[in-house]
Amino acid sequence: MADKFIVNIIHRPEMVPEYSATVTGQGKEEDIGDKALITESLDIFKTQQRLAHENGLKCTIQMTYAALFNDEAVEIAKHDHEVYGDEIALSLLGLPCEEFREKYKTKDFCIWMFSMEDKKAIVNDVFEKFYDRFGFYPESTGSYYMDADLTNYIKEKYPSVKCAVATCWEEGPKAYHTCNNSWYTLFDGGPWAPWIPSKQNTHAPAANKEEDSGIVAIPHLSRDLLACYDGNGSNFGTHPQNVLRGMIYDTKTWEYPYLYNLIDQYRDLEKYNNGYAYNMMFVGPGWMNKMGRWEQPYELLLKSYTDGCAYYGKLKKEGKLVDMTMSEFADYYREKKGVNAGNYNEPECAPWRDILYGSDKQVFWYCDPYMRACVNMDQGGAIVDLRPYVAKLEWPVGIGTKHVQDASYPFLIQEKYRAGYFTHYAGAGTVRSAKLSYNGEEVDLCLCPTHSHFSEEVIDGKKNRILTLDPVEIQFNGVTVKLQTKEYFEEGASNIKIERNILDISDPNAEVYLDEYITACYGTTEYPEDMTGITLTCEGANPQTIDYEYKCRDAKLLGATAVSAVVPAIQTKVSLTPSAEAEGYIEEGYAFSPMFKLGYKKKIESKEVFATWLNLEKAN
Amino acid sequence: MAQLGKGKLNYRCPSCFMRDLDIDMFYNKDTGIYSCIRCQFRGTEEQVLAGNEDVRKKYGAMYKRFDKFDFD
Repeated sequence: MADKFIVNIIHRPEMVPEYSATVTGQGKEEDIGDKALITESLDIFKTQQRLAHENGLKCTIQMTYAALFNDEAVEIAKHDHEVYGDEIALSLLGLPCEEFREKYKTKDFCIWMFSMEDKKAIVNDVFEKFYDRFGFYPESTGSYYMDADLTNYIKEKYPSVKCAVATCWEEGPKAYHTCNNSWYTLFDGGPWAPWIPSKQNTHAPAANKEEDSGIVAIPHLSRDLLACYDGNGSNFGTHPQNVLRGMIYDTKTWEYPYLYNLIDQYRDLEKYNNGYAYNMMFVGPGWMNKMGRWEQPYELLLKSYTDGCAYYGKLKKEGKLVDMTMSEFADYYREKKGVNAGNYNEPECAPWRDILYGSDKQVFWYCDPYMRACVNMDQGGAIVDLRPYVAKLEWPVGIGTKHVQDASYPFLIQEKYRAGYFTHYAGAGTVRSAKLSYNGEEVDLCLCPTHSHFSEEVIDGKKNRILTLDPVEIQFNGVTVKLQTKEYFEEGASNIKIERNILDISDPNAEVYLDEYITACYGTTEYPEDMTGITLTCEGANPQTIDYEYKCRDAKLLGATAVSAVVPAIQTKVSLTPSAEAEGYIEEGYAFSPMFKLGYKKKIESKEVFATWLNLEKAN
Repeated sequence: MAQLGKGKLNYRCPSCFMRDLDIDMFYNKDTGIYSCIRCQFRGTEEQVLAGNEDVRKKYGAMYKRFDKFDFD
């Protein structure tokens, strides 16, 4: 099989499943040692294991701390390791149990939120307990999120660990909101597919051996790259009961084609990643409890997990899927991505179309050690999300740090949290786009929906991933401009080149102007941050500078070599540079529009090609 | 009136679901009415299920099986 679609199936015997304790136990006093709950939880774990094995799939068993005190759970893990080749790993989820509560005197259960002192104590405790039960240290671990300090400590103390579940894609303010502002998993801005975390920041992939944390990280679930971006992520992933949570099933037939579409679209990503694609399914036992889950009775919960395993099993039988344990995958990943040969720069690319709402919207996600970016073809190829990984921002989280809960990697652009193209009557939103103007009329390419085609090309010896967008027509009063956009992601370059090919201007004498721009700010949530301290510059022979004070100032410079902003709070410099002489400009925002804008304006001719580079650098 | 409890299934509020909020509803066993403690939704099981079908209207391709994911 030339191409590989890999799945990791992970189960955790959780003695007090999340949700079960509060949902099935509603109206009862809390009893963390409830024997009936423990028995039911083990039964669910056994069912999950059986369903995977019946379909010929091997699993990674992530033992929870609570499960390490349960002889039956330990025996099942040993048995399934011997018989089915399952990996016995260790989860940092599922900490709550009588033993944990007694020892740590807290109801906290998310490892990244503890103080560093407690993180170390808990890691030592659970890893040593694991060793006591199994006679070896695990090779895989994980949680919903693993902060860099935690990973670095684990890798130093337990070097056998080489794989970890380390984030859940775009689980942040949207998930918090969906849960009535009571679910504190705030970690937007990470990769959606496996990566090697840097030692500085888990979200930001390592750029070289020195930055390599020593583990391969996998995301918690494989999530819909369009639906999750603008909705509750926990409805749209390779977690059958999440699909039910989203009510994405036929209530009469109990069928859910969306689940298979989601898996198949991930399979399709092989085409853009050198013949490799990845899925992860990880369903905690709380999602299959006998009391049912929200509107779904137990029978439907069971059916969905049965069907999920059956579909992966069918793909395996057809030679279209390889099942691996987490540690097997870590070895495969380092070899496949070229890391073993010293290349950390191979990006992850994901053109993604709507498979749920019935539109033909298409986005493109790109991730490498220097950035994560989302290009929205429905907005003419505008960049609508941008995370400057190049800064490798050190961002400790947990009690005793500045970020007790907020583990998100900051954005420069986030169209949902900072408006994007459309704002309510005043101000501007974050986006990287362009405007065309003629005789007093102005059209933004955000209003020119189109589609793109992916290709790879070596240009001047450098590998490029290229998006070629279908041409769009901009109709002014009396003049039509036909324009095609191409976007280049040069491997390891920390920039995005956007090329506008002016295919035709219906009136060759018309004075048409192009305005390439980025409107940006910084943040991790929906709410604005203090922009004071940002410096805007038109770089060149006669530089112009604005220190941000919300005064709505601007400056321009013909022939500017670059227009830039230094954002100290996230140690990032962002700039635009042009392929030909143009007028560079910088704009400060104001309190009602806490943004900055960088751009180039240029008169354009028919058949002209004009490019600008969006560059990201670390600035500290 | 006795306190509210849970019904046979743990229904969420369909009105809140439409604004991306998962809010469990509570049940009055005397009246057979589910109620949301965040918004003003009140309804019978039949009305809840009808609301859930309204929720699904946004999923225009929910029943479609895709075999092509690019636009080439």
